Amino acid sequence: METKTDRFMQSIPEIIRTIPLTHYILLSSALFAIGVLGVLTRRNALIVFMAIELMLNAVNLLLAAFSSYFSDPAGQIFVFFIMAVAAAEVAVGLAIIVMIYRNIQTIDIGLLNKLRN
Amino acid sequence: MSSILFIPLLPLIGFLINGLSFPKLSNPVAGIIGTIPPLAAFALSLQLFLQFDGNTQIVPLLDWISVGELSIPIAFQIDQLSLLMLLIITGVGTLIHVYSSAYMSHDEGFGKFFAFLNLFVFFMLLLVMGSGFVTLFIGWEGVGLCSYLLIGFWNKKNSYGDAARKAFIMNRIGDLGFLIGIFLLFQEFGTATYQEVFEAIKAGNGSNLGLIAFCLFIGAMGKSAQIPLFTWLPDAMAGPTPVSALIHAATMVTAGIYMVIRANVLFEMSPEVLHFVGWIGLATALLGAAIGLFQNDIKKVLAYSTVSQLGYMFMGLGASAYTASFFHVMTHAFFKALLFLGAGSVIHAMSDEQDIRKMGGLKSQLPITYITFLLGTIAIAGIPPFAGFFSKDEILAHLYHHDIVMWALAIVGSALTSFYMFRVFIVTFHGDFRGTQHQADHLHESPIAMTLPLIVLAVLSVIGGIINLPAFVGGNEFLAHWLNPILPEGSHEALEVHFASLEFLAPLAAAFIPAIFAIQLYGSKKAVPAADAEISGIQKIIYDKFYIDEAYNFLFVKPIQFLSQFFYSFIDFLIIDLLVESTGKFVKSSSNELRKLQSGNIGFYIFMMVAAIAIILAWTLKSWIF
Amino acid sequence: MTPVIALSLFGIINLFLGFTFKRQSLQVVTLLFIICSMALTAMDWNHEYLWFGDMMKTNNLSINFSLIIQLAGLLVVAFSNGFGKDEVYTQPAEYYAILLFSLVGALLMVSFQNLIMLFVGLEILSVAMYVLTGSDKRNLRSNEAALKYFLMGSFATGFLLFGIALVYGSTRSLYISGILYNLSHTAPESLPSFLYAGIILMGIGLLFKISAAPFHFWTPDVYEGAPTIFTMFMSTVVKTAGFAAIYHILDVTFGGFQKNWIITVYFITIITLILGNISAAYQQSAKRMLAFSSISHAGYMLLTVCANQPSTSSNILYYSLAYTLATAVSFAVLMVVAEYQTGRTEKPENFDALNGLAKNNPSLAFAFTVALLSLAGIPLTAGFWGKFFVFTDMFNKNLTYPIIIAVLMSAVGIYYYFKGIISVYFNSGEIEKIETSFLFKIALWSACIGTLVLGIYPTLLKSIF
Repeated sequence: METKTDRFMQSIPEIIRTIPLTHYILLSSALFAIGVLGVLTRRNALIVFMAIELMLNAVNLLLAAFSSYFSDPAGQIFVFFIMAVAAAEVAVGLAIIVMIYRNIQTIDIGLLNKLRN
Repeated sequence: MSSILFIPLLPLIGFLINGLSFPKLSNPVAGIIGTIPPLAAFALSLQLFLQFDGNTQIVPLLDWISVGELSIPIAFQIDQLSLLMLLIITGVGTLIHVYSSAYMSHDEGFGKFFAFLNLFVFFMLLLVMGSGFVTLFIGWEGVGLCSYLLIGFWNKKNSYGDAARKAFIMNRIGDLGFLIGIFLLFQEFGTATYQEVFEAIKAGNGSNLGLIAFCLFIGAMGKSAQIPLFTWLPDAMAGPTPVSALIHAATMVTAGIYMVIRANVLFEMSPEVLHFVGWIGLATALLGAAIGLFQNDIKKVLAYSTVSQLGYMFMGLGASAYTASFFHVMTHAFFKALLFLGAGSVIHAMSDEQDIRKMGGLKSQLPITYITFLLGTIAIAGIPPFAGFFSKDEILAHLYHHDIVMWALAIVGSALTSFYMFRVFIVTFHGDFRGTQHQADHLHESPIAMTLPLIVLAVLSVIGGIINLPAFVGGNEFLAHWLNPILPEGSHEALEVHFASLEFLAPLAAAFIPAIFAIQLYGSKKAVPAADAEISGIQKIIYDKFYIDEAYNFLFVKPIQFLSQFFYSFIDFLIIDLLVESTGKFVKSSSNELRKLQSGNIGFYIFMMVAAIAIILAWTLKSWIF
Repeated sequence: MTPVIALSLFGIINLFLGFTFKRQSLQVVTLLFIICSMALTAMDWNHEYLWFGDMMKTNNLSINFSLIIQLAGLLVVAFSNGFGKDEVYTQPAEYYAILLFSLVGALLMVSFQNLIMLFVGLEILSVAMYVLTGSDKRNLRSNEAALKYFLMGSFATGFLLFGIALVYGSTRSLYISGILYNLSHTAPESLPSFLYAGIILMGIGLLFKISAAPFHFWTPDVYEGAPTIFTMFMSTVVKTAGFAAIYHILDVTFGGFQKNWIITVYFITIITLILGNISAAYQQSAKRMLAFSSISHAGYMLLTVCANQPSTSSNILYYSLAYTLATAVSFAVLMVVAEYQTGRTEKPENFDALNGLAKNNPSLAFAFTVALLSLAGIPLTAGFWGKFFVFTDMFNKNLTYPIIIAVLMSAVGIYYYFKGIISVYFNSGEIEKIETSFLFKIALWSACIGTLVLGIYPTLLKSIF
């Protein structure tokens, strides 16, 4: 028997679909661009890392949007994968940042330019 | 793995073992390791020969280059021709290996020598067993290399190294022609395997066959010492005598003739080239015999004799007498190897003396060498019923029907051959001893390892004629029937020669009369060839080899050296160095500038990446933006 | 399927073995593990099947790539004889385990049928490499290399993911087969334009991994900073896996859209060739030179990806194999020489540190020479045939300008490769006999002989590929 919750759940994609797809794409691209700008401009390794995570989350948003629009769960499953992998990456990335901090007491990425030419 | 693949594999293994460990192995061990491969290969070849059922067998080894439409396989072809060559190479080769174990026993490079000999046998087997021109060429180049290594084996004297280089370079010139021939084959037929090419030719395809045949023959001219690429062979006598016997008498120099017989289909379609081949052969035969007339180094006489006899073989090919030429290849292998090994025995006994004017009267001291050398001399002179008579006269008989002028000149050459061979024989073994006391003290017959091959080869030289006894003397013409399947149709006409005809008697006269004359001149009258300073006139010209080497030096070597110097000092220095160096400097300076791109600053890196991505995206979506 | 499972299990087992086994035996055990998984891979020959819910496919092509990748891993483990000595490398079991895990990631990357698997495999491989790059914890260069690799790697992964999302949005499927089906059944006009952006972004994400210009800036720094043994792993395994992925994406999946991405990849290839070769010319450090040379080899391999001929996959395989063998040998020799020279010279990885190697270490010098000749593309080595096949592909597609540039750049390449050969043989220096372990010698000689054998007889493996 269809309950009120079921009907509500089934209407979520329609609700989402009332906003045109291009809006989602633009939002996601804007978030992504903000993330890219963050990576470009900031010098603190942690902030750069946050910006990268922002980029990944923008992708998550886009995938979720596409998945809803096509009623295809594959997109959202991919989102789970991305989140899990991003978490692992965070672990490793923070470990690297900590290791650098232990050595040079700072995490300014502009200072690390000994390997050049 | 078929036993056929073992035949070339065993000498290769022998080369590797001896080559990699020669300082550590004792002489007897190295000698045994070196001699077993050709012996085993001979046994295998004999087995193949006896089991041969008349069908050509192709044993593929590997597909060497397969790019696009070009496919060059390396495979072995066992047919009548290659089997006979295998027997000669491995059989005579084994005898010479045995001989070398005694001849080279005092040499410190003993193991190295056997390694090179085995390598040579390997390449020669590759040459005759190949199923296509490419495999043949690999062996062709390889035997040229080994010839160079073995001629210059005693690298103490500069002249030996020069002789080795001369051999290699002259071979190279011939090889260039051969290579062009192979390229033309690929261009015409898209393949170079014997079966495919000859099928295509028989089916009537392919133009430029004459050009191809000519280019291939240029290679044969270099390898088989024909005019004008023959001067390396006498100089090659600088190598140890077993080398001269194996390479420059029995095997490598016959590679050119083998190639022409193998490609008889091709040459039959180009009668002008065959004509050319015949005349070159004749000129070489006469020139070689003439120069050999007055030489005083025992090995040089034999060398010019080889040049001359090779000329005879090519003359036979020119007259389309393939069987006769191959018959002469076989008998020549026997008696020329015998003569060279006998000369080596003499040289060994005379403490490395090679001038026949300083020998004489050796008959009593070296009985076995004396008898075998005599048998070899009789064979090469063409005196019946020894082997040389049947093979040489079969060629002459074919020439008689082909071109009577050639025949007449060939008879003259035959006379010269008989004369100079008996001259050498008498002066060396008869008369008074003209050497030093030191040499007389050390005079001794060679050990069994050297005399045994002499005896075997002498027997073969005597009875070798039965390989192809013509029908009119009651023989079974074995060789002719054996080779018939691979030769053109109708090339075997039974020779009908009447005993009382000019055709039969003239060669006999040319054999006997000069022999008797030589025996008279040098034997009874005990005339000794003059010392170098006393030779004059026409004799001097012939003695100095008609100044051909000097002419080559003047016409070719010196201009090339001059040109080389000119290019070096002028063009190389000013133009090429400038060009190349400026390019190099340009690359270096741009590299220096580009290096600065790697600033080490991660922010810069990411900026470049993002900029590139932005440009790429803008380009991709340009239709969407505009 | 089994090699992936086997390698993961072996990695975990390795972690536990670290408690009980000695260091040298750990190396042998890891070698055995990799050989075992290679055998498992080869057992699937001529056996095509899909697994993991149709997300992975095993066919002869993926088996060939897997074998090359595992061979590279084998060589790396065999050459890794320094793990036990230096106090920095105090946890060999963990390094071997991470190596095995990264091999798993690489295996996933070469046999994917679903874009999720591509991403997962890529990330497994990359994250493992971030850790290994920074493994020399007290050395500041290693730290810097790890940070650069990590930041730029994650950055590029972000682009790859965005591209995947856009492609998913246009084709409604994450499976390669689904993408192909949907794309062929839609009219070109109704395809959303962000599909093309998606393809390009995916390409860019992957091109970063194989260090194509202008995404190559991380390569020299990371290769130079990382410990040499891991540089060897990076330059062989990551490149091969990366090219397998690029081939699957650009040539197989989006081959029909070639006119959209070909110009971009065309230019990227040309810039890669030029930048890689010319920047390498002036390098003093041999390790950095090898890094730039790996950039230039990526350029050559991209040529055949551009050409997109039926023989492209086999040419990529052949080139990867030739390149793997040569790079492994050259890094190995560099590693032992640098280790020897560390106390004695201030720059142990320069060309000057190699001076006079041939006097007391003839086999090392010979192997180094063969490897450099193969990288330079001199005939009789496998590298020559690799380049030859790539150029033949380009000829068949009538793309002549890249070939001219490639040939010119090959000539430039000869300069800096021969610098190595000259310092080894013709310059004078004092290097005593360097002791190397038995496994090292075996690996060195077999890679060397493999290069020469493939150089003389290329059809040996070309027929299988």
